[in-house]
Amino acid sequence: MSRGSSDPAHAGGDGRGRSADRYALPVLAVVTALLLGALFYYPVATVLVDAVVVNGRLTAGPLVEVLTGEFYVGWLARLLTDPAALVRETLREPGALGTLGLFGFTAWQALLSTVASVALGLPGAWVLARFEFPGRRALRSVTILPFVLPSVMVAVGFYSMFGASGTLNALLSALGLSELDLLPSLGAIIVAHAFYNAPLVTRVTTAAWESVDAGAVETARSLGADPRRAFRDVVVPQLLPAVLMGATLTFVFTFASFPIVLALGGARYATVEVFVYSAVRRLDYHEAAALAAVEAGVSLTLTAIYLRYERAQSQRRRDTRPPARESLLPDSWTRERVVSRLAVAGYALVVAVVFLGPLASMIYGSLTVEGRLSLDAYRFLLRRQTAGASFQVRPLPAVVNSLLFGVGTLAVALPTGVAMSVLTTRRFRGRWLVDALSMAPLAVSGIVVGLGMLRGLVFGVTAFGYRFTVTGTVAVVAAHAVGAYPFVVRTVAPPLESLDRSLVESARALGASRLRALVDIELPLVRAGVVAGAAFAFAISVGEFDATVILAEGSGSYTMPVAVERFIGRRLGAATAMGTVLLAVTTLSFLVIERVGGEGGGFGG
Amino acid sequence: MDRRRFLETAGAGGLALVAGCSAEQVETEGSTGAPADGGTETRTATGTESETGTTTGSATAGDETLVVAAYPAFVDAPSTSPGAWLKRRFEEETGATLRYETPDNELNYYIERARQGADFDADVYVGLDTSGLIRVDEQQGSGQFTDPLFAEAGDLAGSDRVKEGLRFDPEGRAVPFDTGYVSLVWNATADGGEFTAPETFESLLDPAYEGDLIAQNPTSSTTGQAFMLHTIERFGADGYLDYWADLRDNDVVVLGSWEDAYAAYESDEAPMVVSYSTDQVYANREDQDLQRHRIRFLNDQGYANPEGMARFADADAPDLARRFMEFALTPEIQAGIAQRNVAFPAIEDAPLPDEYAEYAKEPAEAVTFTYEELKGNLGTWTDDWARRFASG
Repeated sequence: MSRGSSDPAHAGGDGRGRSADRYALPVLAVVTALLLGALFYYPVATVLVDAVVVNGRLTAGPLVEVLTGEFYVGWLARLLTDPAALVRETLREPGALGTLGLFGFTAWQALLSTVASVALGLPGAWVLARFEFPGRRALRSVTILPFVLPSVMVAVGFYSMFGASGTLNALLSALGLSELDLLPSLGAIIVAHAFYNAPLVTRVTTAAWESVDAGAVETARSLGADPRRAFRDVVVPQLLPAVLMGATLTFVFTFASFPIVLALGGARYATVEVFVYSAVRRLDYHEAAALAAVEAGVSLTLTAIYLRYERAQSQRRRDTRPPARESLLPDSWTRERVVSRLAVAGYALVVAVVFLGPLASMIYGSLTVEGRLSLDAYRFLLRRQTAGASFQVRPLPAVVNSLLFGVGTLAVALPTGVAMSVLTTRRFRGRWLVDALSMAPLAVSGIVVGLGMLRGLVFGVTAFGYRFTVTGTVAVVAAHAVGAYPFVVRTVAPPLESLDRSLVESARALGASRLRALVDIELPLVRAGVVAGAAFAFAISVGEFDATVILAEGSGSYTMPVAVERFIGRRLGAATAMGTVLLAVTTLSFLVIERVGGEGGGFGG
Repeated sequence: MDRRRFLETAGAGGLALVAGCSAEQVETEGSTGAPADGGTETRTATGTESETGTTTGSATAGDETLVVAAYPAFVDAPSTSPGAWLKRRFEEETGATLRYETPDNELNYYIERARQGADFDADVYVGLDTSGLIRVDEQQGSGQFTDPLFAEAGDLAGSDRVKEGLRFDPEGRAVPFDTGYVSLVWNATADGGEFTAPETFESLLDPAYEGDLIAQNPTSSTTGQAFMLHTIERFGADGYLDYWADLRDNDVVVLGSWEDAYAAYESDEAPMVVSYSTDQVYANREDQDLQRHRIRFLNDQGYANPEGMARFADADAPDLARRFMEFALTPEIQAGIAQRNVAFPAIEDAPLPDEYAEYAKEPAEAVTFTYEELKGNLGTWTDDWARRFASG
């Protein structure tokens, strides 16, 4: 993407070009709505309808069963069924309220995971946005790598890093310290959730930090504010929306978490999604739909609250010129500089343990058999590639498909996401509701989306004597794009909203179309957000499993995560080797995206 | 590329993709041989036709195609799987073509199709078990799933060789083709070589074994379900939850899937794991230390999990499907499937190498619940277990 156009060929424009310009944004919005409707809302509706329709009749039965079930919602059930008794008993014995049941526990672990992700992610944004050091850009571009890793790989990495006989305990005992029994536990779930989501917090906050206006900081300083005060009054308000967005998304994701919970926590830490999974597995669709509907309701409500806050927060500014970065190794040392560098070093150590540890353990696992170095796992990949049958999953097509789908997802999600960002920055009543609905792909249970796609797309709809089905490559790309575009919206809309309207208005007054103003003026100013959105879109596509495995069935459109899953056996060498390939391919892709997207020209560095 | 042109191109591309998609699908549907009236009508028509057109006897199959539905690991396990070999042998034998369908949702995929009235190609399903069969029967009658999904096997040559204890379908649709036993796998090198697995369910509660067992969640794992059923067989429907409460007090680790549990076992999280009694076959093939892969049948019993195959009621190639099932029951093929699936043959006289018997352990007594015992109870038992032990 080159920055805007100083290209004279586009300056004047004939009538046809201009009308194309005029319709481009609405057309993209319609495309988005159609994609959402066909690939998300319709399929999901085919499943969730079971929450309100039993034997062809409309009923609140399944939902009531969930909302008044003590197992599901704890004392809230009694609040709905017998509030008077609940109040009486609570007044008599205030401690006897009890828990909030399955939903309460699910929300609790999501809250803890969110706190951990923010705590672990924020310092990362600080380091990436405020310091200059060799490899900074490469580091920033691979931040969200954990996002694409199949959960089974993360579980394996965690066991070999933090397990009873893992690397950490080996280190501890070598140092003469006592060994730790860390797995399985609630703590392990939370750290694994932070492993996935802290990078998200880091990435969105870094993008916001890189768009902070240094001019405002300088103004505050010149008015007598000390650096701390200037940071608190000027920088923090500009970062807060991004941090809260990262936190909201983390909560929504971990609220619906399931394989990680099962692998690292064990049965006693089961979440709502675990029960959705087991209900779908035994084909109890009413229970599954009711649970998933309430689960999505919680997530969507939270998203809507965040979106209202985001609207209220946006500040107007004309330019983005972030403060210059400090070199990590300064020429002269002050006390303050020593303290901040020690903090960076401490954080690097935490990152090494929490992020690099499991990743390195996974790679090490792919290169060893019974503790001896061996390339057997990679030989398996090679053998499967050269001698595998046509009906077996082979590594190379998986790599090619993943890249193809990733690029395809970018091509669809980036323009639709930007278009939706522009449209939702317009002011109209109920805008936050439209916004929240368009964020729904992030909030609905992956299991329900998968089942819905099976029913709505793979099995298809019968009309005019034909059965219309949607499978294979195109369907996979479209499904990925639907899952990815909310990320583009969330990284592009807030900075876009905060741009000074008069910039666009003067451009329009000079004859530029809305699209032209967007492309030439606004997007270059929010480039950091666009690049972050692109990275997320790609990551979502590469890491997606539920929809891919369903839509790819029989068409050979399987991807790297599907290959990883298929290669899991009694021993994990083959799967971890495929996981390592996935890691390598994705790392390279992120570096390319960041390189193509550029540093952000005049306002990044 | 100019940013604007990029947006336009990508947008137009997006539209073309969507438009191309539905149009293409109409074409595909038309060309897969559905008659002009198409739609759901096709399914009924085909079904009736094949049932009335059924004749016994087996001429050469010629250019016929048999579509075999199976669980993914049957064709695609990273170690060994019978799929490719079975396909080659069957094609050599009959001259027909065998095509696999391995949907990720396994049997539920076909139940879903039946419920939604969406036709499918598969002729035979490979990998049925008792609980799957119960799901099929419980779902019949919901949505458009009105007619039976599977046909009765009828008189199959060789089906009289199937071991009596393995037959799990009272209606004779599913024919067992192999079986496995769920047992403990334990590590004799743990505790500096001092560790020995307990011999009974009761002694598993001994404080000496605190935190020593990894099991699986019965709601999400087949081995987990088998182990839970074994405890019900042992302690009764009103006693198993108390036994599990004691197990929990003794710090049993219950993970989501067999894969999670086995990976934790391999990284020495605990010296015992609920797994299959054929574990040493793999260990031997891969030159692993067999001391780390000892087998223990608690109370000398193993929970049997027979796998069956059944013909879909509206199979397009019912005769070929029948030939496939007969073929799968011949002694040589039985031995081949068992070795590649690392399981036990369903018939008595399969010619297995002696070495196989040495490493694939069979319990003194096989226990299992019958279809009748499980039907109506399995859901309740699993549900009660999950509610008692979740979110605690």
